[in-house]
Amino acid sequence: MTESSLSTDALTVLAAGPMLSVALTLGAFLAAQWLFARFRKPLWMPPVLIAAVLLALVVAVSGLGFDRYYAGASWLTVLLGPTTVALGVPLYQQMHHIRALWKPIVMTLPLAATLAAVYALGIAWLMGATPLVLASLAPKSVTAPIAMGIAEQVGGSISLTLGALLITGVLASLFVDWTAKWLKITDDRIIGFALGLNGHAIGTARAFEISPTAGAFSSLGMGLTGVFTAVFLPLAFQLVEPLL
Amino acid sequence: MLRGFLVLVVFFLLGEALRLVAGLPVSGGVLGMIMVTFTLMLRGKVSDELAEASRGLISVLVLLITPGVVGAFFIVDQFSGYWTTVLVALVVGTLLSVFTTLLLMKKVTGAAVEGDEHD
Repeated sequence: MTESSLSTDALTVLAAGPMLSVALTLGAFLAAQWLFARFRKPLWMPPVLIAAVLLALVVAVSGLGFDRYYAGASWLTVLLGPTTVALGVPLYQQMHHIRALWKPIVMTLPLAATLAAVYALGIAWLMGATPLVLASLAPKSVTAPIAMGIAEQVGGSISLTLGALLITGVLASLFVDWTAKWLKITDDRIIGFALGLNGHAIGTARAFEISPTAGAFSSLGMGLTGVFTAVFLPLAFQLVEPLL
Repeated sequence: MLRGFLVLVVFFLLGEALRLVAGLPVSGGVLGMIMVTFTLMLRGKVSDELAEASRGLISVLVLLITPGVVGAFFIVDQFSGYWTTVLVALVVGTLLSVFTTLLLMKKVTGAAVEGDEHD
């Protein structure tokens, strides 16, 4: 009895500051990278999923609870703002790629980025999803820091958005592999662009495994989709929301 | 490194300020990102300090989004009636959108290469 109350006290004291959450997150991040390399980098199990599963287990079993964990981890998540801004730097550095291939990009991006959201939203709406679920799914193809901002703007649940993002990223990596083979597409630029546009950071990590060119085009697809969706989706949602 | 970080934080704050003043439904981070990209395009170069700071932050992006992803495991109950909907929408929606993107890009780049030999 005394032992368990001692450990509860210790937990209360340690969880009073943010450092317990920070340490757990850092530890899970490093463990996930090690495990990912150890399992020969499986497509269906990216490091972020491994880290999240490890953390969820620890947070649930230790009695820390998600709310206390998340409050402490906000010392890390607050950096997502400047990190979103930082994505503008590689976007600028790839500007020569955009110039070289601007016509196909301009013709494809608005339609493809819109459909990336509309297909899933249409299906969810037909199946009777609530506005909260729809708002959380809308930014599913957008890179996480931007998607969290969009979800917040359109009134979604950030956790559901991140879950949807994770599933979408993993699926997009698999589907691009299959579909490119089926359509006999071998151009790394097209494959990379499709990976970034549909699968955000997880697709981009996959693209860098294919080739540096695929990686650059994936970053480009991810960045452009992020900006396009971030600007147009909240506006579109304002128009559509009264109809839901 | 620190100077680059300061630039990023200042652009984030500018983005937030613009969002509040103009009443835009777009997050401050995205507005800051757009402003950084345009500023760099106007200057025509990026300082080593800024490039280093942005590389550093982007390399720990996974670490920063992990706490939010953990939350997905704790909302399973809250959305228990909707998981089938969510999964079907994501699987079918992503398959369709991947197919559309690849097909569009294939058609459009094919046409561009035919019309214009030097790529």
